[in-house]
Amino acid sequence: MNFRTVRLGVLTLPGATALRVAARAAVAALTVSGIMTNGLAAEPAIRIGAPLPLTGALSPEGVKLQQGYELWKDTVNAAGGIAVGAVKRPIEIVYYDYQSVTPKAVQLAEKLATDDKVDFMFSPFGSGASKAASTVSERYGIPTLAPTASSSEVYDQGYKNLFGTFTANDTLSEPMADIVKARAPNVKRVAILARNDLYPLALGQEFEKSSKKRGLEIVYFEKYAINTLDHASALTEIKAAKPDWIIATGYINDMILIRKQMADLGIKAQIVTMINAPAYQEFIDATGPLADNVTSATWWHPAVRYESKDVFGSSVKYTEMFQKKFNALPDFTNATGSSVGVVLQMAIERAGTVDRDKVRETLVKGGFDTFFGPLSFNGVGQAISYVPPVFQIQNGKPVVIYPDVIKGGDLKLGVR
Amino acid sequence: MLYVQILINGILLGGLYACIAVGFSLVWGVLNVINILHGSFIVLGAYLAFFAYTKLDIHPYLFAPFAALVLFILGYAVQLTIINRVIEAPVLVTLTTTFGLALLLDNLMLVAFAANFRKVSLKPPLGIIDLSDTFPSIDLIVPVDRLASMLFALLFVGLLYWLLRHTVVGRAIVAVRMDRYAATLMGVDTTKVFAVTFALGAALAGAAGALLSPIFPISPLAGTTYLGKAFVICVLGGLGSVSGALVGGLVLGVLESFGALFFGPEHSLTLSFTVLILLLIFRPNGIMGKRGFV
Repeated sequence: MNFRTVRLGVLTLPGATALRVAARAAVAALTVSGIMTNGLAAEPAIRIGAPLPLTGALSPEGVKLQQGYELWKDTVNAAGGIAVGAVKRPIEIVYYDYQSVTPKAVQLAEKLATDDKVDFMFSPFGSGASKAASTVSERYGIPTLAPTASSSEVYDQGYKNLFGTFTANDTLSEPMADIVKARAPNVKRVAILARNDLYPLALGQEFEKSSKKRGLEIVYFEKYAINTLDHASALTEIKAAKPDWIIATGYINDMILIRKQMADLGIKAQIVTMINAPAYQEFIDATGPLADNVTSATWWHPAVRYESKDVFGSSVKYTEMFQKKFNALPDFTNATGSSVGVVLQMAIERAGTVDRDKVRETLVKGGFDTFFGPLSFNGVGQAISYVPPVFQIQNGKPVVIYPDVIKGGDLKLGVR
Repeated sequence: MLYVQILINGILLGGLYACIAVGFSLVWGVLNVINILHGSFIVLGAYLAFFAYTKLDIHPYLFAPFAALVLFILGYAVQLTIINRVIEAPVLVTLTTTFGLALLLDNLMLVAFAANFRKVSLKPPLGIIDLSDTFPSIDLIVPVDRLASMLFALLFVGLLYWLLRHTVVGRAIVAVRMDRYAATLMGVDTTKVFAVTFALGAALAGAAGALLSPIFPISPLAGTTYLGKAFVICVLGGLGSVSGALVGGLVLGVLESFGALFFGPEHSLTLSFTVLILLLIFRPNGIMGKRGFV
């Protein structure tokens, strides 16, 4: 029995200070003597550890993830908590800021496991940090949900405790390459500029494979370093290679800079694909008209329409609740933050216990109908059960161009 | 033609780098203070320019002197009230002080402006000068906003040079840089000179931030990247002199550009850092530095 939780429960009772003091003393005495039972007071919280990059280069993404976590937590707690068997237990998320420094994320995951003794964990941001920190959760046997790990290299370690809600990188590159092949038959030459970082590089390599598979020629493939302040040389070479399709992978600051410098060098192409940034309104705000006709793909978009059996009820209701709380449309990072929450919640509720082994078994079985999409995992813990949408910025707004069931428009050619 | 375009890219980038580094170099050279706050001052200048443009419709180039003025006042206050207390302490103490202040300013900006990346998106954009329009055989492009930012930056650097050469305050700063104790004996009020120098460094950072706001994304924690560049430029060019920062900036810009071309963009820094190491071995005072000034 957690004394702090009990004490908080007593403090909610009306009455004079003397009564509260007496009650507190009685509770303390009962707690010490071990007489109290679960039925007499509020249930202890289910503690979830969440290392996040709240400062540093990845802080925008870290803050977005936290918003997703918070919306899920507040929604569940407002409804009384997670149903564990016959009782409802509130959620407590223990946050640490790892300052966008991956080794620090691993240290903090260790602290969450050993010092804070959390019940479950959410992975840090991105494939690289998720992979690094997964070693910690595997060592301590803590089921961990990765909201933003898409690279298959994260899951190829044979770990049993890692479950990611992002489908593999090729689920982004394959539909995009299909669309290009079908709607832009003149596209023959492809240039790829990838951030030298686990996920963006793996994604760049998937685009290379998807392009080659369709007979397209890779005329340029280079990596750029993290924190690159100038892309002019790479882009000058890309321009000289005369590509029809330019693909750039990285995070929002990289993409803003690359798109701006493409215009600075007068680079035009039939298709420009950038992942991840265009899914964020900040990219559109920062690049202005340069965002137009840039294509991207993402794991979730407010346009998706999933009915769900989770605490939100559907994608549409999720979007409404997010807008109400944060006064902005949710993007895929916000949504995936909430998605790991609802999956964990559904797994605990199905297992009827917070026993880690039982929850892990339920996660392995999969079949979670969530607002993020139907979620089941393959043998190594990566989601395989939904189709990520492809979209294009058209007149300053993201328009879904794939899959057909939710599409709002067709691919437009020409980026200048 | 590819090499010429890369050279143009490098010179334009180098001009911006010089603008980033000159204030940092001045403060380090004169006060012997490694001002970790410098990068954060640049970011603050960029934010001021961003809001001046989006809320008041003031063009960043017109706003640059105002950003410089605001940062001058802030820099003067910070030096006089905080840094001046530890100015006589070993360099590690002042470095730690400015590091702490940088953490404070970064986090204040994080709270005030949120972590989102922003950028001044000029309307209409300044566009590009495409030389092939006039000379079809010359396929070279110059982005106008980079050129303009570089020219305005050079104007500010020129103003600093003039100030150091031709004003009483400037001569006092140079005198303190050469020998602070001799300058005191000659009647120079070193406390004031220190404050003015630090404020000038901050003002140059503010102006640099405004000039860079249409070029680089702005985020509260971008200061460390600028600071890293400033460090390298100072070592390359030599400390405390305007010409050193200018030469260091241009050399770094050109080296990075050709480094990216020859070794790939992920190794753009390899060439510049190799040159840096060689300089540290064979010419530790930098290309323009003078022995014994610091």
